[in-house]
Amino acid sequence: MLRIFTCFALLFFSSFMCTYAAEDSRTVGGYGVEKALRLGERMYRQGLLPSGEPMEAIVQGDIPVDGSMFTCESCHLRSGLGSVEGTVITLPTNGSDLYRDYPRGSEVIRPMRKMFADEFQKDYLRPAYTDESLAEALALGVDSSGRDLDPIMPRYALEDPDMEILIFYLKRLSTEFSPGVDEETIHFATVITDDVPKDKQDAMLRVLETYIRDKNTQSRQQERRAKEGIFYRLEFYTAYRKIDLKKWLLHGEPETWQSQLEQYYKKEPVFALIGGISTKEWKPIHSFCEKEKIPCLFPMTDFPVISDSDWYTFYFSKGYFQEGEAAARYLRRNETKKHSTVLQVFRDNQEGRSLANGYQQTRKLLKQPAPQNKILQPGEIINATFWAGLLAEFQPDILFLWLPAEDLQTLEVLASSAHRPQQIFVSYGQLDESVYALPESVRDFTYITYPYALPQKSKRERLALKSWLKVKKIPLTDPMLQGKVFFLGRMLTASLMDMRRDFYRDRFFEGIDMMVDQDYTIPTYPKLSFGPSQRYASKGCYIVQLTKGPEPRLETKSNWVNH
Amino acid sequence: MTLSKLLIFFYCFGITLTAFSLNPPELMAGKKRYDRSEIQYSLPDVTLINQNRENLKLQEILKADKVIMLNFIWADCTTICPVMSAGFSHLQKKLGPDAENIWFISISIDPEYDTPEVMNDYLNKYRALPGWDFFTGTRKDIDSVMRAFDAYVANKMNHYPLTFLWAPGHEKWVRINGMVGTSDLISEYELLLDKKPKP
Repeated sequence: MLRIFTCFALLFFSSFMCTYAAEDSRTVGGYGVEKALRLGERMYRQGLLPSGEPMEAIVQGDIPVDGSMFTCESCHLRSGLGSVEGTVITLPTNGSDLYRDYPRGSEVIRPMRKMFADEFQKDYLRPAYTDESLAEALALGVDSSGRDLDPIMPRYALEDPDMEILIFYLKRLSTEFSPGVDEETIHFATVITDDVPKDKQDAMLRVLETYIRDKNTQSRQQERRAKEGIFYRLEFYTAYRKIDLKKWLLHGEPETWQSQLEQYYKKEPVFALIGGISTKEWKPIHSFCEKEKIPCLFPMTDFPVISDSDWYTFYFSKGYFQEGEAAARYLRRNETKKHSTVLQVFRDNQEGRSLANGYQQTRKLLKQPAPQNKILQPGEIINATFWAGLLAEFQPDILFLWLPAEDLQTLEVLASSAHRPQQIFVSYGQLDESVYALPESVRDFTYITYPYALPQKSKRERLALKSWLKVKKIPLTDPMLQGKVFFLGRMLTASLMDMRRDFYRDRFFEGIDMMVDQDYTIPTYPKLSFGPSQRYASKGCYIVQLTKGPEPRLETKSNWVNH
Repeated sequence: MTLSKLLIFFYCFGITLTAFSLNPPELMAGKKRYDRSEIQYSLPDVTLINQNRENLKLQEILKADKVIMLNFIWADCTTICPVMSAGFSHLQKKLGPDAENIWFISISIDPEYDTPEVMNDYLNKYRALPGWDFFTGTRKDIDSVMRAFDAYVANKMNHYPLTFLWAPGHEKWVRINGMVGTSDLISEYELLLDKKPKP
């Protein structure tokens, strides 16, 4: 008996090894499997052939295009699950959808399709592709049912080996669900770093957990409606999952965060990170998400990573950097003097550096001369003597004071100085409510970068937040923060619905990328907008001034500055 | 089944039938490529900014001594705009020196994201030749331009392919609704020139 078992085990093991070795030694388009997969991804996402030349195609019958203009990913998106834009529906090109009969409309509808008249009985748009029929679709625009694809679908001119590589990639694209989801639950985590004050941690967690609790307690209704309600589709029924939220608390220095995150993830593989809060730079968490390709939705940070190409963290805004950026754009349009002397004064800390970098980098982008910088030494005291010396030395026309409130106590002396600057800029993000304490004598020439919705224009949204918190018995302790988390909850619900049963991490973000711009559901920002390359939902700032008098108000001096 | 469920059933059934009827076979087969109409538009008094940060009062485009081809796009668009922009790009090359008689104008419907720098990169990506400008503006101004051309969409993801042609001296714009190829645009351009009022 033991001998027979051993023989079977050896046979099984050797056949497994042979299969594995065959796959491993196989060549695709003249390349090894791993290399072919990488080249296929490059074709799909960057439009480059294995030779490095752009892929070429024809669209709309007679328009030649190449891979440097747009790629497969542009329309079918990173996951390959397609997009809907206006009148154009782009069908999925991921492995599991390509190689199965593709249904027309919903797969299962109630009442059953067989109850409809004969002309509605044709259930399938096309049969499953084979490698040959898929190559024909890519080259000639004819699908596996013989139907001509819309002329907007490029007809690619590909050599056989290149076609083989692209098909090899498509066949493996989005075929297995991402980790962190099972038959009943979708697991998320929120990252909290130990530098965040307890009241801030609580403010974020209570709103987020309440949202999730509400969503989970609807489960019986969801399940009942899905089973009994008419016209509910299989996609929705099988998509429903309870949400589980884990708390990943990071301790110590940021350099150690990455390894802490890796340990958490190993123990609790989650589908995505949602929210999260830190007073330090978000970079280690951002890098972890890029490396592991884990989406991170709307972390509460003033120090995001500024990048045009990273994809896996979706921020509310660029934080302090954005205020500096907006100030540069505003001045580019409104500078009264052609060659103004611009001076930035800041402390060598995160706030100061982010604001100063935002301004400086944008000046460079706008081809404006670089400003002068005065970086304060730790412990350097700001008093009347300091201001007198600063103005005498630099004689700035425009003075950026990226400084906290305690450094601006003696600002009044600037008003009577012989070298008074034409304009002073300060940051609302840095000063917060203490901005209202700016002395009256400097208000005329002091401008404030204001990255939020104006209080007078967001009354309705603030009321909605307040009412929701009241109903949920959560005290209003931090309207800005709670407003952001309130919005995050709404977005989470919407993006999970959009994702339906396509439990791929990339798809989770693609749903948000295709979402309607939001200007009525969030009290914190005037408008949040989305798109496949956009990872900062709020994109500008107001420039405001304080009115005169004992109860000053913020008065806009600009439209929303983002150009 | 309760009465309310029965009513919902018939309502949904009606929607399904309507949906099927909205996609007649001839459209699905792509036989009808685009709709064409001639309409007079009144342009709003707004100032837009182009990829080089140059301002333009929109109404002044009608003082141009060139044919205008205008569309609404956004740089981060997934499907429609890339093909429309490839169309403008190819037409510029196909017409050769004659392309100088056309002012290609693209107007952003995503002014939050489309800064002059983004628009400049976009035009470079499509290897635009001189004579193709990409404009943006404030949200309010962009909305008023879309409304003026009866092209307003509240959400950029719901936009649809529109191309407008105008020639000096004409009161009406040619409105093309649908995706078009280069030969379609050349035909429309030539038709417009044939109808050009004689001085």
